[in-house]
This record gives sequence, C-alpha cells and structure tokens, in this order.
Amino acid sequence: MIHTIDITKEHCPMTFVKTKIKLAQIAQGDLLEVTLKAGEPLENVPRSAAEQGFIVLETKQLHDDVYQVTIQK
Amino acid sequence: MDLTEQQIERYSRHILLQQVGYEGQLKIAQGKVLIIGAGGLGAPAALYLAAAGVGTIGIIDADVVDITNLQRQVIHHTPDIGVPKVTSAANKIAEINPDVRVIQYHSWFNPDNALQIISDYDFIIDGTDNFPTKFLINDACVMVGKAFSHGGILRFEGQTFTHIPGTACYRCIFPKVPPKNLVPTCSQAGVLGSIAGMLGTIQATEALKYILGIGDLLTNKLLVFNALNMQFRTVPVKKNDNCPVCGTNPSITELVMEEQAVCELKTK
Amino acid sequence: MKITVNGEAKQYEQAVVTVADLLVLEQVASPEMVSVQQNGDFVATEQFETTLIHDGDEIDFLFFMGGGSIPDFSNI
Repeated sequence: MIHTIDITKEHCPMTFVKTKIKLAQIAQGDLLEVTLKAGEPLENVPRSAAEQGFIVLETKQLHDDVYQVTIQK
Repeated sequence: MDLTEQQIERYSRHILLQQVGYEGQLKIAQGKVLIIGAGGLGAPAALYLAAAGVGTIGIIDADVVDITNLQRQVIHHTPDIGVPKVTSAANKIAEINPDVRVIQYHSWFNPDNALQIISDYDFIIDGTDNFPTKFLINDACVMVGKAFSHGGILRFEGQTFTHIPGTACYRCIFPKVPPKNLVPTCSQAGVLGSIAGMLGTIQATEALKYILGIGDLLTNKLLVFNALNMQFRTVPVKKNDNCPVCGTNPSITELVMEEQAVCELKTK
Repeated sequence: MKITVNGEAKQYEQAVVTVADLLVLEQVASPEMVSVQQNGDFVATEQFETTLIHDGDEIDFLFFMGGGSIPDFSNI
C-alpha cells in the first residue's frame, strides 16, 4: 500500500518528525511518498530515514524545488 | 491515545530518537513515577521527568521549603520559602508541562502508607536524605516487586543503582541501617549543590529507560562518582542470598521504620 | 603485596592479612559505615577480622551515602 505525506511547510527537525510518525502508523513493507522541498529537507530526511532502518527507494523532482522521496517501511 | 500537533512539537527531540519515537513518547505519557522526597535529588528528577512528559508524577514530602534548601533543590525558588515542598514542586511542574498529572502527598513516607502509595506507580525514585527511609523504600519495593532508583550524595560524591525484581537490592549491599553514633552529622556533612543535579538526573534517566524498555539499567551495579576528580566507577554487585529482605530466607517480612540517627542540627 | 582497591592498583609494603587490616591501612574510620566486596563477593561485617586477603585480590569499599541533611523525624 502507498501512503503520502506533504512536509513542504515544515522545518528541521519537524520534517523528519512528521515523516517518522507517518512511518510509525503504516504497515511493515508499505511505501510512503514524502513530498518535500530541496535543500535541508531533501538532504536530511532520506538520510535520517535510512539511519533509522527504513529503505529509501527513489527520489524524483516534481516541479521547481519540490521533490518526492519514496520510503519503504 | 494520540499526541496532539502541539505535543508532537514539544516532544520532537524524543520522537526523533530511534529508541524512543512516537510509540516511546506514548509510553512516557502513560508512565507513572513516584518521587519520594522533593529535595536535592527529587527536584532535578521531577523537572526532567515533567519536561519529558511523564503522564503521572507522584511527589511525597512533608516538609516546607527552607532557605537552606535553595542551594540545590532547584525546583523550589526564593518566593516558595515556607510553602509545602509538594505544592512548590507541583506548581513548577504545571508551568513546565501542563500535560503532567501531579499527585501530591503532603506527608512522610512511612510503614503505614508505603505499600499503598507505591502500588500505584511503575517506577520509584528514592530522593530521600536519610537511611531509615532509604531502607523502607527498598523493603517496600522488594516486597511489592517494584522497580526503583536508589540515590545518595555526600560532599562531592554520589552513588546510585537501580533495582528491578530479581536483581540486587539496597540490603544486598548494605544489610542494615548504620549505627546511630556513626552517621555523619549535618554539621560535618555538606554537599556541593550541583552534585544533587548530577545524581537526580541520572535517576530520572533510569526511570525513562525503564518506562521505555531501552538500554541497560544500573541493575546489579553501583555507580559511584567523585566530582572532585570527575571519576565515575561502576562496581558490579551481586544479589545476596543472605540478604535480609530479598535473600532465600528473609528475616524482614513486614515494613518497619528502623531506628534513625538523630541530627543535632534541626532543619528549622 | 598487590591489591586492587576501588579499581586502583595498590602496592603495600606492610603485610595485609585481613579485611580489617586493610580498613586500617586505608584509613576507613568506621567499619560499620562500609560494605566490603572481595573479588565481587560481599564480606559480612562480622567477618572483617577473619577474612584473609590474598595477593591480586580486588577489593571494593562501598560507603553509605545518605544525603546532605537528616530531617527530624520526631514528629511522626
């Protein structure tokens, strides 16, 4: 199952806090598509997710400085 | 139970930790910790546990705030002189974190109320400053099967260990209350105020680890430190089969307040 | 004789025979205020005089530590 979260309005560290809470709520193996801004969020959210044992599957640009990172629980 | 948006922000630094996370913060919110003695050790412990979002904090102390307390009992402030310590502590906790429910017991911890009070909590912090009560806390926790953190400070030194059922208790290390005439008197003792903060925050950390079920507790080991040379040492201790309360053939089967040393200096 | 006392390696010129001797050498004023572990096992206070110390032993002195003050309990 694929879930989504938009953290474009959040700032560090709430970007990863919100992502982490969403990941806690979904089932093992499910995917989470995280919409985030370039810069700090794009650099840190995938890295933090990987550090805490999640799998970062892909990163793609949606438009301008908005990206989507797909994370598997 | 869910955390509100505001709580998610408040506890974000906990939620970020892999070993805590959202689930861990919920455990903390459901945790119940009893602090016996709102003094040098209880004050920092209460402040950090409140800030951490521990759902229920019980505080037992019959004393009122005295000017001599303010050098180390950081939960009490100058305008609190003369106010019951439990009231002063509850007021500060409410200011730090309105999520916390504080239960005040304005009395001494004694053999008549001990078992009933501790039965309502997950973890007990010994923040008392006298041996009879330290032994009473130990005996009551061993009898009911409760986890607790022992703490002691003197001059520039501190010691602490954590007991959970089946591990070494205070009487395994110190079988009986020290003789009356050998306990250092108040005038001889003294303590560097910040030592109380060092030790009380270690006790609060043990309480949080216990609630979260993470890491290794200070069980079967006594942590001792000397702040003069900043040396910390962990001494392994064993559960003692001959222990008078948790040994194989215990001689202590009901709670008593053992004879205490009488201090020559009155606190008031 | 080499003994480790409270984690510190110590060499004694004098013969240290019993736990009680070591308490004197280490200037522990009140044996009743200390709990002694020899190689991880507690030595009962009554056995300080009769418990022998061996070369290479690890001895820990654990002291009672209450707090900075002792309240007046006469009102309870």
